[in-house]
Amino acid sequence: MSTNHASRRDFFSRIANSLHGAALLSLFSRDLYAAYDLTAKQPHHEPKAKSVIQFFMNGGPSQVDLFDPKPALSRNAGQKVRDVNTDVSDPRAAGGLLPSPFAFKKHGQCGMDVSDALPHMASVVDDVAFIRSMYGEHSNHEPALFLMQSGRIVPARPTMGAWVAYGLGTENRNLPAYVVLDDPKGLPINGISNWQSAYLPPVYQGTRFRTEGPPVLNLQPREELSTPLVEAQRKLLRRLDEMHRVERPRQPDLDGRIASYELAARMQLAASDALDINQESEATREAYGLNDPATQSYGKRCLMARRLVERGVRFVQLYIEGQIWDNHSNLESSLRYATTKTDKPVVALLRDLKARGLFDSTLLVWGGEFGRLPISQAEPGKEKEAGRDHGPSGFTVWLAGAGIKGGTVYGATDELGHKAVEDRVSVHDFHATILHLLGLNNRALTYDRHGLAERLTDQFPARVVKEVLA
Amino acid sequence: MRLLIPLSISLGIAQAAPVNFADHIAPLMKARCAGCHSGAKAQGKLDVNSAEAILRGGNSGAAVKPRHTADSLLLTKITTGQMPPAPGPAKLSADEVDLVRRWIDAGAPADAMAASKPPAHVPDENEILSILQIRCLECHGKRQQLGGLDLRTRASRLKGGKSGPGFVPGDPAASLIVKRIDSGDMPPMQMLREYAIRPPTTSEVDKLKAWIAGGAPELLPGHKFASAAPTVTEKDKQFWSFQPPRRTTPPTVKNSTRVLNDIDRFLLAKLEAKGLSYAPEADKLKLLRRAHLDLTGMPPTPAEVTAFQNDARPDAYERVVDRLLESPHYGERWGRFWLDLAGYADSEGFGQDDGVRPFMWRYRDYVIRAFNSDKPYPLFLTEQIAGDEMGPWKDSKPATQDLVDRIAATGFLRTVPDPTNATERGFIQERMNILADEVEVLTSSVMGLTIGCARCHNHKYDPIPQRDYYRLSAILQTSYDPYDWLSPKKREIPLATEDEFAAVAKHNQPIEADIKRLEEKKDKNQKEIDALKGKLKPRPHIRALTDTGGLPSTSYLLHRGDATLMTEPVEAGVPHLLDAPGMDPYRPAEPYPGANSSGRRLALAKWLTQPNHPLTARVWVNQVWLRHFGRGIVASPSNFGRSGVPPSHPELLDWLATEFVRGGWSTRKLHRIMMTSAAYRQSSAAADDAIAKDPENVLVSRMPLRRLDADALYDSVLRASGRLDAKPFGPPEQIETRPDKEVVPKGGADGYRRSVYVLHKRQSPVTMFDAFDQPAMTPNCIERRQSTVATQALQMMNGTMVWEHAKYMAGRIIDEIGDDAGEQVRQAFQRTLGRAPRPPELAALVDSYAEFAKHWPERLAKDNPQAPRSHLARWMSLTTVCHTLLNSAEFAYVD
Repeated sequence: MSTNHASRRDFFSRIANSLHGAALLSLFSRDLYAAYDLTAKQPHHEPKAKSVIQFFMNGGPSQVDLFDPKPALSRNAGQKVRDVNTDVSDPRAAGGLLPSPFAFKKHGQCGMDVSDALPHMASVVDDVAFIRSMYGEHSNHEPALFLMQSGRIVPARPTMGAWVAYGLGTENRNLPAYVVLDDPKGLPINGISNWQSAYLPPVYQGTRFRTEGPPVLNLQPREELSTPLVEAQRKLLRRLDEMHRVERPRQPDLDGRIASYELAARMQLAASDALDINQESEATREAYGLNDPATQSYGKRCLMARRLVERGVRFVQLYIEGQIWDNHSNLESSLRYATTKTDKPVVALLRDLKARGLFDSTLLVWGGEFGRLPISQAEPGKEKEAGRDHGPSGFTVWLAGAGIKGGTVYGATDELGHKAVEDRVSVHDFHATILHLLGLNNRALTYDRHGLAERLTDQFPARVVKEVLA
Repeated sequence: MRLLIPLSISLGIAQAAPVNFADHIAPLMKARCAGCHSGAKAQGKLDVNSAEAILRGGNSGAAVKPRHTADSLLLTKITTGQMPPAPGPAKLSADEVDLVRRWIDAGAPADAMAASKPPAHVPDENEILSILQIRCLECHGKRQQLGGLDLRTRASRLKGGKSGPGFVPGDPAASLIVKRIDSGDMPPMQMLREYAIRPPTTSEVDKLKAWIAGGAPELLPGHKFASAAPTVTEKDKQFWSFQPPRRTTPPTVKNSTRVLNDIDRFLLAKLEAKGLSYAPEADKLKLLRRAHLDLTGMPPTPAEVTAFQNDARPDAYERVVDRLLESPHYGERWGRFWLDLAGYADSEGFGQDDGVRPFMWRYRDYVIRAFNSDKPYPLFLTEQIAGDEMGPWKDSKPATQDLVDRIAATGFLRTVPDPTNATERGFIQERMNILADEVEVLTSSVMGLTIGCARCHNHKYDPIPQRDYYRLSAILQTSYDPYDWLSPKKREIPLATEDEFAAVAKHNQPIEADIKRLEEKKDKNQKEIDALKGKLKPRPHIRALTDTGGLPSTSYLLHRGDATLMTEPVEAGVPHLLDAPGMDPYRPAEPYPGANSSGRRLALAKWLTQPNHPLTARVWVNQVWLRHFGRGIVASPSNFGRSGVPPSHPELLDWLATEFVRGGWSTRKLHRIMMTSAAYRQSSAAADDAIAKDPENVLVSRMPLRRLDADALYDSVLRASGRLDAKPFGPPEQIETRPDKEVVPKGGADGYRRSVYVLHKRQSPVTMFDAFDQPAMTPNCIERRQSTVATQALQMMNGTMVWEHAKYMAGRIIDEIGDDAGEQVRQAFQRTLGRAPRPPELAALVDSYAEFAKHWPERLAKDNPQAPRSHLARWMSLTTVCHTLLNSAEFAYVD
């Protein structure tokens, strides 16, 4: 936002006007040249959503096996299609049209098709808006992830969560604005680049909260000090810093740094509390699947996500281990592995938010970096183990919660489920829509870099997909 | 293909007659556009119901310009998603857009009759060349001529290959090139994958046919390049930063007692005008610490502190500055700054293992050596931009260190993320992105220009037309040819000194012998062999930028920056607005006989390093100033244009720039004059009136109090702990990811190396560096930011790394000092903060030390009640003292 350049003078006068200015200010962070911080900021227009929980299904969930049934695949099973062929990464492994091994049924009032791989999802379709006509630009994980996160297929640009933190700040200054709950089994492709702030100040970067052990890296001292030791050390540091500061009046940077150490101490408590799911009832734990080894891990993250948005965290992003949606082989079993792990927890979170009155202020976003092709992929001689290759030209994502018109089915792919053809939604449209729900205008959310007004949607045309809004 | 017919009408007509309005476009217009653009009330007075009406257009002029897709508003509105507007009818699909494009390419015929007429427009040879270049030349071009076919020149196209002439003018059907494309033989699928090329679009093939049908007209000589329209006016060039720096006279000041050199006259004159002056001179030790951190990135050692305290000579401080400028650590510090500008990283940023670059460090070493030898700036720039074109190098194997350095210097333009080692990430868009990133590195770092926006459209603020962007980009095109691409792996150059080759051979010989022995064994153990192979050192190579030689491919102005929308050809050149009076123009020529190199980059370096260049000296002087004073004279160091921040002291900037050139472009002299000014020697204490009248310190009414950057902070920890391994140069120190995912430098037998020598991976930066704003290169970093965030406190207080170093430091102090608690604490203080503690500080430390010593035995008993612990507790207590000092504000900030 161009208004973010609150001047140093302004900052200084606020400090100077109070005796213990620094300690009183919400100094999660400050930048030397402008007051880049996480204080809650005014959105551009009345927001529908206060928070976002993004189920980032990295790997590329298969639309034709989950949300977008294509009978033509069965009718023409095995037929080679040259047009699809050009999208594959390994032409030798490109087979003919592959019918879905899953059975589809229509569900809810809206009659949305959901396959039997997602039985829980099927029960809440009337709360969800499906976009069946998403399309990307690249069939490779890395560029496609960069595109989905940051709007360009190249690395080192700020991600959507970082833009949101920049634009809106946080309502709980003891917690970061943008929290990432990654899978303890491993980071997604592109690693920590998936939540980088790049040229935005680092305070807007996603903070990884770990779901096992201490929640934030270095949140607890490594060589565990006893409480009296921790307190004695803090006391000494305060005494030294205070002597240092008294000799250097009117140095807001120094005041800010001392405040940041105090905040760090508070954050240790706040984050530990936010992630402490032992405070939850047995019924809740059961609903999220914490008692089942298959759903326990993702369920825990879903539950933590709820506790974080309850505490005012702006943007929570959940990742899933490695590449479980990247079903290049053994389509049925490998896809079912992914759906089994996630279906119940995702839906439990949706229902829980409704029950707690948070569904109206929280936006849920589900999707991967691309979808999959309608043809089979198998090395010659391994046709029985066939899977599907990456399909960036048409795939499904869904949105639910704040500001979303439940039961919507928007857009369509072609007869094969290969390309989005009707009401196509670009990644930039997708980003613009999420920002819009948060009260942000994608054209106006800019950051000045070398004299250029940078934005998430860059110079690309971006349209808010009003058709899915309530 | 039966199935496909109902899928999409566009696929069905792929082989049919040219697209015409009545059959193909009319239905589309009716469904998607005619709702608003029809009849008397048509929006924008545009009626889309007939080809004729579309050609006539509306308020914005003709909606379609036959055969000129790039100039057809209708297409632009559709492809940019502006039309149809939401929530109106659905946007056009990619196939439908292609249909419209082909219709325009075909001349926008009204119906089949019109379409069947011989095309009035015949594309010119440039249009055809652009198609061949993007689709065919990888196999039929400079590096290889498969089937004996070279499609680069008219003569070679006519001559054809083993199967006969490439085409028959006037007869598309009889032309081999058309036949092969139509039959689907060319380009071959498998090869397309291998070379990361997409097949030609239907409209491109149509164009090729039309060109042959029209007799394959040749370009007339002299028609080769469209002449640049004079969009840059003389008035545009009058802007201050586009004019050569002028030698200015230092003003007179009222209070000359504070003047130590001419810099002070410029600064004091402005301060006095506001009723201000400098802050008092900083005390001796603060000044010493500032100078050390500024020039070497590390605080002084206790011995250096003592020596300085005892030096009563009047020029003791100047001597320190001179000594530091001679220190090998100076090049490491200032080399690091330059590496920021260049966007240095040891990985490509893509793929497994992040694509580690095994030889990038040679460029880092070149930079450090260049600073340590005070290489004159023009030579420094020329080597980095065009080291390979400065003289022969190809046959000099093995080579001298100077030659290795000259080639390694070109790593400057090899820094940006490059995904193209994998062909599936090596398509034309990605290649163009690399070229664009390198242009950004070049212009933002040494030219002070932000011109990235001109990639897609004329610059909004500065007179940089889009054409100038592509002229500049064309300078790099003979080295980064997007139409004949070389991935990073194919660019490595096996060049090194004899010593280095010998050292590697000596290291590898016994291992190779062992491998051979193991491989000859009957029951050979592959694991063992692989383990040995892992110990082999790679043969030395250089990551360099070199010209690909031969006939350069044609460069185009790309419509909206789209790599596939090639419009007018452009010649290599520099931005017109910088043709300042008295400057020699940019003039590429073969750099030396037999070079087989276009000389484009060498010409750029020559042009850029002219003494009266409007930007070169100013931009670098400003960068040096920024790093000494915390703020540039131009506060937007990569943007000296109209949208940048105007200089706070324009006369001083020009005086420094001309002084720099007069002094033989010596950066060392520049440091000296800045650091021996009274301005630099001021205290950072902020007086009330200075705060009131100069709140942002634009006038330099005091020195800024600054946080150490990531590198200085880390290096300072190493220096204080005594674990610094000061070994310079060579392959980087490895990093490791701990179980808790903290990324830390691995260290070695001799300790830990300075941060500039630690592996810099884009996807797994060292956690502490990242927390303290070491930049993610995007693609480079012109000015680091200084954030203050809680995660930094967590990192310093709770991270393993700092604790481990504190432990080592405490252990060393006990070894050296013995049991005297007061003396131990004094030592810890001296090593971390470079001064003796004052009584209240000492008291606080001694009190707390005693308190730690009281609690530690209890804490250790928790781990193991049986183990001896009083000895360990003493060590841990002093560790806690050292750790606290490393966390103190004084340690992390410089006055």
